[in-house]
Amino acid sequence: MSDVSSLGEAIQNGDAKAAVAAARRALESGADPMSLVSDGISPAMTEMGRQFGDGDCFVPELLMAARATKEVFVILRPLLSQKGTQPVARVVLGTVRGDLHDIGKNLVAALLEGGGFEVTDLGVDVPPERFVAAVEDRKPEIVGLSALLTTTLPAMKATLEALRTAGVRGRVKVMIGGAPVTASYAEAIGADGYAENAGTAVGLARRLIGADAASRAKGEQAT
Amino acid sequence: MNQEQWETLVAVVRGETRTPLPTGFIIDCPWLPNWAGHTILDYFTDERMFLEDNLKAIRTFPSAIFLPGFWSEYGMCTEPSAFGAASVWEQNEFPFAKKVLRSPAEVDALEKPNPRKDGLLPFVIKRLQHLEPEIERAGHKIRFAVARGPLNIATFLMGATEFLTAIKTEPERMHHLLGITTDFLVDWIAYQRECFPSIDGILLLDDIVGFVSRRDFESFGLPYLKRSFDADVTVKFFHNDAPCKACAPCLPDAGINLLNFGVQHTLSEMRAWTGEKIALLGNVPPRDVLAAGTPADVTRAVTEMLNAADFRSRLIPSCGGGMPPGVPTENIEAFIATVAALTR
Repeated sequence: MSDVSSLGEAIQNGDAKAAVAAARRALESGADPMSLVSDGISPAMTEMGRQFGDGDCFVPELLMAARATKEVFVILRPLLSQKGTQPVARVVLGTVRGDLHDIGKNLVAALLEGGGFEVTDLGVDVPPERFVAAVEDRKPEIVGLSALLTTTLPAMKATLEALRTAGVRGRVKVMIGGAPVTASYAEAIGADGYAENAGTAVGLARRLIGADAASRAKGEQAT
Repeated sequence: MNQEQWETLVAVVRGETRTPLPTGFIIDCPWLPNWAGHTILDYFTDERMFLEDNLKAIRTFPSAIFLPGFWSEYGMCTEPSAFGAASVWEQNEFPFAKKVLRSPAEVDALEKPNPRKDGLLPFVIKRLQHLEPEIERAGHKIRFAVARGPLNIATFLMGATEFLTAIKTEPERMHHLLGITTDFLVDWIAYQRECFPSIDGILLLDDIVGFVSRRDFESFGLPYLKRSFDADVTVKFFHNDAPCKACAPCLPDAGINLLNFGVQHTLSEMRAWTGEKIALLGNVPPRDVLAAGTPADVTRAVTEMLNAADFRSRLIPSCGGGMPPGVPTENIEAFIATVAALTR
């Protein structure tokens, strides 16, 4: 088994120590840091997200895989930066104002990061103005809003309104998710997408970026 | 719950088929105060409002069994408050308990609370004691001891992400934590029974068991649930509206004989997984149909659910979870009428 395959296996097993060791071995034998992401981490986390969506993988296993991924990224991030490798996209993520639940957001963050996205996690109970500031500061392509409580759903709408008022809504795609969130609610408040669970969030993020690319291409053709 | 409703509930749990089937719903702070025209904070802080809102629901829907019935609660804060968790209150939002444990190591210093004195628990008991004469004059009794389950309490004390990670990284400490939350629950349930001799049921609510694998449930869930439910009562009612395929086959081993579950699984699937031993309370989508739908949508969903279920024993049609915020009167009426019409 190659070191990159071992890395993927260690991540799926939630074994951070083995994942870091496999990553180091792969780098020492000359592997491109990006290949560790694209051929090791990303397929492993995609598979875990799929299994999670199907009910065959559980939250503790996903959290352990996320921990392993984070530790590998401690080694990889400076190398990727040196090489000028760009993430798939930048995502600013947070649980909205008034809501202190973090598990759904953390799972989405882990899966996005494993999928090659650069994630800025703003934490929980994030007021709209902090999302606006993060969009201005981090220049993400995507903003992700999470909520567990029905009573905090209005904070999602308020965050979208704050992005509009600040004139930055057009710069980002907004995806939302969480137990009380529905596709119709996402549509009603003008979000760009809704992820039913953490397992589907990466696919949604990719589609949103793809939709962007397609619309840009259309726009260029039109001009 | 009045005597007739209690006898119906017990009969269904024991496997007698009632025609028409009874309809039952878990009702508590997410739905009841706003439905009755009050804010959540007023409902928590005003004993009269608590009583009148519950009576209003009972009188508006006299044929529905509301579970657990006169549930004296402070949302998710009730049990964590006994461990010293700060409670955050907003005018019309569910209260939230702040974490008590900043790291798994702090479990070592955690002490088991005294349900007679600690946190909001004396308030829970006193509210019911103050109101018990009026509840009984209205023809009802307090039937259930109620608490959040052992894993649910653990996650409020240290955070869900932290707890679910620590069962992998520090399993012994998490067993120690669950031992404390379970010892506390045993005391808390016993104290409720002592205060209200009419109690003949236990309701535990614990969604966290739905987040773990079968193997982790057998280690971190089953022994603690079993001990929490280990009391001489007739109805052992469990609520978990997270996906629970992995743990479902083990639930009868915990002593559970009535289950409210989520919308991820069908009634027939849950019956197959739990066998004939557990009565099922479910499971029309609470949010998308019961709250957001029209009466026609509710009628359609209830009809589809009952047509798809190939059994009528040990079944109480309900929604897949507690009554969610925003459910209008006419949707509940449509639910009850449809069940009555289809199960005569």
